[in-house]
Amino acid sequence: MARTKDETALDLATWHFGVEPELARVVRIITDNEDEPGEPIKLLEVNAATVATGSVEPFAFAPSASVPFPTTIAEVTPEEFERIKRNELQLPIGWSLAKSQLFERPRAA
Amino acid sequence: MTEGERRRAFAEAFIAQARSDWRVYRILAEREEVPSCHRLHYLQMVCEKLAKAYRLRDTKSPIDELVSKHSGFSKFVGPFFTALKDEYSGKDEQLRGLIQRARTLAREIERLAPAIDRSASPENAEYPWERDGTVTAPCDFGFPSLQLLTQPGGRAFQNLIERALDDFEKIALP
Repeated sequence: MARTKDETALDLATWHFGVEPELARVVRIITDNEDEPGEPIKLLEVNAATVATGSVEPFAFAPSASVPFPTTIAEVTPEEFERIKRNELQLPIGWSLAKSQLFERPRAA
Repeated sequence: MTEGERRRAFAEAFIAQARSDWRVYRILAEREEVPSCHRLHYLQMVCEKLAKAYRLRDTKSPIDELVSKHSGFSKFVGPFFTALKDEYSGKDEQLRGLIQRARTLAREIERLAPAIDRSASPENAEYPWERDGTVTAPCDFGFPSLQLLTQPGGRAFQNLIERALDDFEKIALP
C-alpha cells in the first residue's frame, strides 16, 4: 500500500536522523494548499553540522521510489533556527512556523 | 519573459556553466605540472554554480539576489543526499561517513572563494594573501585542507558533484 504524504514525511525525517548525527530536529512546514497534487513535503532541518550563512536556502527534489512526493529541504544551524523564531531571519516565501509539525531527534538515533 | 521563464533560464545557464567548469577542472586535475590552485579555483566555481542552479530551480527564491550572492554550496550538500536515498538503502553507516566528509570538503571548497571568510581564513584560490607577515601567492600554496580530495573519500565527493551535475534535469520537480 502506498505511503501517505504524512507517513513519507515522517519516514524521511527518521532516515535523516539516522544518517545525520548532528541533526537536532526537523520542522515540517505545512501550507494551506498542502493537499494539492504537486505541493512538496517541506522540511526545515536544524543541523549543527551545516554552515551558518544567515539565510534559509531551500532545495527541491523530484519524487523517487522511497519518497513518492516532491520534496523541498532547507537546513539551518541551531543559532539560525533561534533567529527564525525571533523573526530575525526570513523563511522562504510561503513558509511559516505557525502551521508546522515538529520531529525531535529520537534519543537513540 | 515571465518570472518562471527567467528563473528557468538562469537555472539552465548556471548548470551549463557548472558543467563546463567541471570539464576544465577534470582537465586541470590530470595535469600534475599545473599548480593546484587552478584546479581548485575551477572546483570552487563548479560547486557555487551547481548550488545556484538547484536553488533557482523549483523554488520561489529571489532571482536577482541569488544570481549576485556568493556561497550556498555548503547548504546544498546535506539536502542533496535525499535524492540518493534509494541507492543507499541499508547502507546508513557508509552514508554517514560520506555525508560527514562531503560537508567538510564543501566547507573547505567554499572558503577558496576570495569573498568568503577572509579575515579568519585568507587562503584562497585566486589572489595573494598575507598571514603573519608573509605574503603568499595561491600558485605557491599546497592547500593542505583539501588534500583529502585525492584520497578515496575525496573521490567519492567528486563523484557526488558529478552526480548532481548529471542528474539536474532528472530530479527536477515534475
